[in-house]
Amino acid sequence: MDVAWSPHDAWLASCSVDNTVVIWNAVKFPEILATLRGHSGLVKGLTWDPVGKYIASQADDRSLKVWRTLDWQLETSITKPFDECGGTTHVLRLSWSPDGHYLVSAHAMNNSGPTAQIIEREGWKTNMDFVGHRKAVTVVKFNPKIFKKKQKNGSSAKPSCPYCCCAVGSKDRSLSVWSSIQGPWVQGLREPSGRGGLPSFRSPLPPLSFQLTCLKRPLVVIHELFDKSIMDISWTLNGLGILVCSMDGSVAFLDFSQDELGDPLSEEEKSRIHQSTYGKSLAIMAEAQLSTAVIENPEMLQYQRRQQLGQGGTAARETGATAAVAGVVNGESLEDIRKNLLKKQVETRTADGRRRITPLCIAQLDTGDFSTAFFNSIPLSGSLAGTMLTSHSGPQLLPLDSSTPVSFSASKPPTEPVATAGARPAGDAVSKDSVNATSTPAALSPSVLTTPSKIEPMKAFDSRFTERSKATPGAPSLTSMTPTAVERLKEQGLVKEPRPRDVLESSSDSDEKVPVAKPSSLSKRKLELEVETVEKKKKGRPRKDARLMPMSLSVQSPASLTAEKDTVCLSIPAPTLKLPMPGPQRAFTLQVSSDPSMYIEVENDVTAVGGLKLSRLKCNREGKEWETVLTSRILTAAGSCDVVCVACEKRTLSVFSACGRRLLPPILLPSPISTLHCTGSYVMALTAAATLSVWDVHRQVVVVKEESLHSILAGSDMTVSQILLTQHGIPVMNLSDGKAYCFNPSLSTWNLVSDKQDSLAQCADFRSSLHPQDAMLCSGPLATVQGRASTSGRQAARLFSVPHVVQQETTLAYLESQVAAALTLQSSHEYRHWLLLYARYLVNEGFEYRLREICKDLLGPVHCSTGSQWESTVVGLRKRELLKELLPVIGQNLRFQRLFTECQEQLDILRDK
Amino acid sequence: MAKVSVLNVAVLENPSPFHSPFRFEISFECNEALADDLEWKIIYVGSAESEEFDQILDSVLVGPVPAGRHMFIFQADAPNPSLIPETDAVGVTVVLITCTYHGQEFIRVGYYVNNEYPNPELRENPPLKPDFSQLQRNILASNPRVTRFHINWDNNTDRLEAIENQDPTLGCGLPLSCTPIKGLGLPGCIPGLLPENSMDCI
Repeated sequence: MDVAWSPHDAWLASCSVDNTVVIWNAVKFPEILATLRGHSGLVKGLTWDPVGKYIASQADDRSLKVWRTLDWQLETSITKPFDECGGTTHVLRLSWSPDGHYLVSAHAMNNSGPTAQIIEREGWKTNMDFVGHRKAVTVVKFNPKIFKKKQKNGSSAKPSCPYCCCAVGSKDRSLSVWSSIQGPWVQGLREPSGRGGLPSFRSPLPPLSFQLTCLKRPLVVIHELFDKSIMDISWTLNGLGILVCSMDGSVAFLDFSQDELGDPLSEEEKSRIHQSTYGKSLAIMAEAQLSTAVIENPEMLQYQRRQQLGQGGTAARETGATAAVAGVVNGESLEDIRKNLLKKQVETRTADGRRRITPLCIAQLDTGDFSTAFFNSIPLSGSLAGTMLTSHSGPQLLPLDSSTPVSFSASKPPTEPVATAGARPAGDAVSKDSVNATSTPAALSPSVLTTPSKIEPMKAFDSRFTERSKATPGAPSLTSMTPTAVERLKEQGLVKEPRPRDVLESSSDSDEKVPVAKPSSLSKRKLELEVETVEKKKKGRPRKDARLMPMSLSVQSPASLTAEKDTVCLSIPAPTLKLPMPGPQRAFTLQVSSDPSMYIEVENDVTAVGGLKLSRLKCNREGKEWETVLTSRILTAAGSCDVVCVACEKRTLSVFSACGRRLLPPILLPSPISTLHCTGSYVMALTAAATLSVWDVHRQVVVVKEESLHSILAGSDMTVSQILLTQHGIPVMNLSDGKAYCFNPSLSTWNLVSDKQDSLAQCADFRSSLHPQDAMLCSGPLATVQGRASTSGRQAARLFSVPHVVQQETTLAYLESQVAAALTLQSSHEYRHWLLLYARYLVNEGFEYRLREICKDLLGPVHCSTGSQWESTVVGLRKRELLKELLPVIGQNLRFQRLFTECQEQLDILRDK
Repeated sequence: MAKVSVLNVAVLENPSPFHSPFRFEISFECNEALADDLEWKIIYVGSAESEEFDQILDSVLVGPVPAGRHMFIFQADAPNPSLIPETDAVGVTVVLITCTYHGQEFIRVGYYVNNEYPNPELRENPPLKPDFSQLQRNILASNPRVTRFHINWDNNTDRLEAIENQDPTLGCGLPLSCTPIKGLGLPGCIPGLLPENSMDCI
């Protein structure tokens, strides 16, 4: 029904009677980029947004739909102005104004009069329309040029505001031409040139808020131009002529003079308007620039060629990926991906020999939300809901005492939890799992087994669909068990006094409880196995047998995780800045790491010879064990792979090597310990008086010396919610208000590295610079502090409509602060990640100045004197290597070819040296 | 809120001979990068009466899983016929696809599977000892049964509590619609697969 070229000429869109719009890749016909489905009637008109961000279509289904070109998803569907329309026109050729601000529809109705609806880009508002035609509007076509008012001698000195011009054709055989002028100040300058009773412009808004035009009447109206309806309109490229065709078989040409329309702006001026309003759209820039810019030197040419070759090589993968997006979106080329998926699927083996598949990413996260709809739109089938209810309410609503599960178990096959009540006097074991959903249906099955009908098996199956898999030992049964275990731990915490250090006790009662929390759905044999495990654990080396006893491991690791979390939860009374201290305990255990498995056991007040009371510290690392004794009671302990340290009651801090050798004489702390932390060879001690010290034990130097937390905690009721010590000995404090500070030892300052309420993060949008793999690459202290999966920078564009310039600024500011934070945290991995991202953004958006500065710093002086201050590395990364990584990024934008060449040449010189 | 939702499961190569591998194409969406791998399993129910005959055909780890939509093909060998009770070899049974995260199962997709002899003669007079080489497996792909479980995605104590206090009916599964994909020979509904009177439980 209609075709339209995209603004950068690489795509062609066509719409058809099959209710779809197809986007063709004009560079590689007949490749289909996307098929836009959603209209429920013949699609009769198409128009591209002049900056290439959207495409709009109008159809017989009384809707106008705007689609995003980024992911080919529906942006909006406008139906209100078309409610009264009938499907009476052959075509519905809508048009987008060349400045991109307005979209004008064909046939719309307003108070039962035919109109051409004006839709604002900003919020897709439909407040204005062109009225006056007596029959439906079939065609709207904007002049491709943007005009400027002709400057007359002696007219006002105000800069003339650019405006657009639009021709409207209708079934009533007449044509009207409207000149739409932006800005209210031109109002009244022009006299309406039409006669009374002719089409006029109408708006419900007061005149001053007119955005589109000052004209209440069209520039010109030609009645009875044809014998039949107007079918199409086309402007000449210079914008001064119109060709109009009609159903009666004739074509008319209208010629305007510049006096009538105004001075057309040049293409450069036009694109400047686009850039100032929308910023550069990548889609347009990349291709338009590549075709026009002259490559100035052979290196660049070579690079570009290489890139093209590379693209050829990776083409398969890329087209696969794009096709995947298109395919899932449209259900079109899904077949193709599927054919290749198995071949392309990356399969590896894990250390323990298991298959591991790397899934093919078929879409970024924010490409629309059909997933939830997918599930929720389907009504819940009655019987299934019933089954589910039993399966879920079973464990939750029937907290049976220990005798009941036995009766259930009796009716069950031997795999079922016979052992529940028997193996242990599980008086307080709620044994939730034993009342599994299956119990009910399965218990029924013996009675129905005799009937030959297939209904019974089906019923039995029903339960199978819902119950959790028990056939898979270990993992699944953990599901409901984990909460129990943790709950139990909590109870412990409640019964005893609340302790900051929540640990798995090695005392006998805690041993009792761990197995109790075990899923009772396990067989008796299993349970016995666990008892064994526990006993082994008492001896302090269960981890060696980790593979044999997955259960004991899985019980412990979540629990000890919570323990670790609790450890760092300190509540600090703000005014006095007195941090809580750990109270003395008789014994506790602390897991340092799970891989390699390492944990510390502390037993205080072990009676020794001569009535002296000693404390024992035991450390177990991958089965190897050492122990030592201290004279004072141990309050808290911490460890890393390199060191183990303990803080004692007498305000002393003792540090041991990984093998248990004492590294230092006891350090006397200025005040009692609050929290102790170890990472690598760094030991961090936070005292109750809110001072923080970090030492590097191996190099025997102080990193942070009794630094007060006063500056970051002062003034409000904030508490430290998490403490982190990076690999480089940088302490990071997460506060309860969502801010995180790290201490910069070289500047002796607390630096803000993360703020949950940071509005910059909310507004930043650097999605175009993100690589699909980036999400997984970025992990480190900064990511930990800021929350791993922060989706910031991706959704911003969708959430807020911010002017592009503002968004650019916020994005830059955000990226820069990320780079700086990563640098301060000395997280080289993250620094590289953010720096590359930042550079990519600078390249995409064309910020040469800052890009040049980065390159200059990374390159350093080529001919350096001995007195050069330049450091060749940054956080352990070689700056020039980083620059080499940046170069391909810079080379992507031909505008930076000089910068590219400069850097390339200087790097070459350096290499040759 | 579950971090992973399964968007679609397409049954590939269906129907197929009994000995040919199961092949499912699974697409899922993840709204937050996952720290660890997902574990997927295919479980073949050998007999409706007892779990004893369940066979885990295969289990794979899937990862890394960044935020976004993903897709993979899960292929598993056919069940071991010697572990299937002879009386249950022919007829309707179930195959389950489950996914666990941190050992917690959060989704289970079940399909009815009909094993029958395509040869009408054999169908009329089935051999006493089932002839697996002649059997054809037909997965009722149009009628998946989906159950979802609330799990703890974060290893966070607070969340755990919240989950424990949650209405048990929340977050249970909804039937998954499985769009038949053209060219794969998925019949909308296989006639004769289910006896009339069992339709009420679907």
